[in-house]
Amino acid sequence: MSADNTNHNDTEHLEAQAKGLVSLLDARAQRLSMRTLKKLEEGRTHAVEMHKERHGASMNNDGTLSHWGAWIDHHRLTFAGLVLIAIISTFIVLQNMNNNETSDAFLLGADLPPEAFVDKGFEPSLNKRATI
Amino acid sequence: MASSQELSDFLRGVERRAFKQTVYAVRDEHAALDIVQDAMLKLSEKYPDNPVIEYPMLFQRILQNTMRDFWRRQKVRNIWTSLLSSFGAKNDDGEDRDPLDTIDVGDEAANPAAQLESSQTLYVIEKALEKLPARQREAFVLRYWEELSVAETAESMGCSQGSVKTHCSRALHTMAALLEKQGLGSQDIENLGVES
Repeated sequence: MSADNTNHNDTEHLEAQAKGLVSLLDARAQRLSMRTLKKLEEGRTHAVEMHKERHGASMNNDGTLSHWGAWIDHHRLTFAGLVLIAIISTFIVLQNMNNNETSDAFLLGADLPPEAFVDKGFEPSLNKRATI
Repeated sequence: MASSQELSDFLRGVERRAFKQTVYAVRDEHAALDIVQDAMLKLSEKYPDNPVIEYPMLFQRILQNTMRDFWRRQKVRNIWTSLLSSFGAKNDDGEDRDPLDTIDVGDEAANPAAQLESSQTLYVIEKALEKLPARQREAFVLRYWEELSVAETAESMGCSQGSVKTHCSRALHTMAALLEKQGLGSQDIENLGVES
């Protein structure tokens, strides 16, 4: 128990030392040569320009899209668009299949043979049935 | 999603520390500048859509990886240099020096004696930090200087949280021993930290 306490105190003591060292190093880091600061500023400016090209061109500061078609630049929006298209396509295909099944069932369940529905001679009779 | 202004503010806040940390690691100011600039570009190129809150850890991870790439390239270059050294070494004494390199920015205290003492202490600390093994220095910098949590440090270093704790503990003990050897006792260091 006392050994644990000693270790804990030792660690706390060393961490306090680390904070002291870091505050000194931090103060040192604020004093850099003009040349270094200029180079760092150049790097930062390039990075920000690249960020604007990648992100700012299609997105306003408030997070809205800046122009039509800008959604293509955003992976999440593109993915969401593709999922939406897939859902709509599936829905249309299922609807068509359902229509085919209904018409097939109607033809098979009718008194007349299927050929009768394409024969023009049966048209008056079929129209008459439809109105009834 | 971070705006360009947020990115600029973030980089402005970390660039000096990042530069010094890289200098301690690679011991070459020119290479350190290249590494920091490279890390800045990689951050804006690869993570333009991430929120600004994620930037500290992402930037540190990129910086550490860029340093590792530098060491790998340096290793290959050293092999070639040692192979080709028989052709004669170049003398760098004639290299042009820029007076801007020697100008320090910042308001120094007016007392020259205090300045001298402070700069000597800093020199000792910087040398001790440079002498730390790479992984220990990385853990020390991320955990205490960048104030990342143990989990964040572990993610940034690509190791377990237990390893981070071990590296940090060893780094602290090694630093304390190195500074003690140079006549900087624990009380002196704590006092210096309070003064600064």
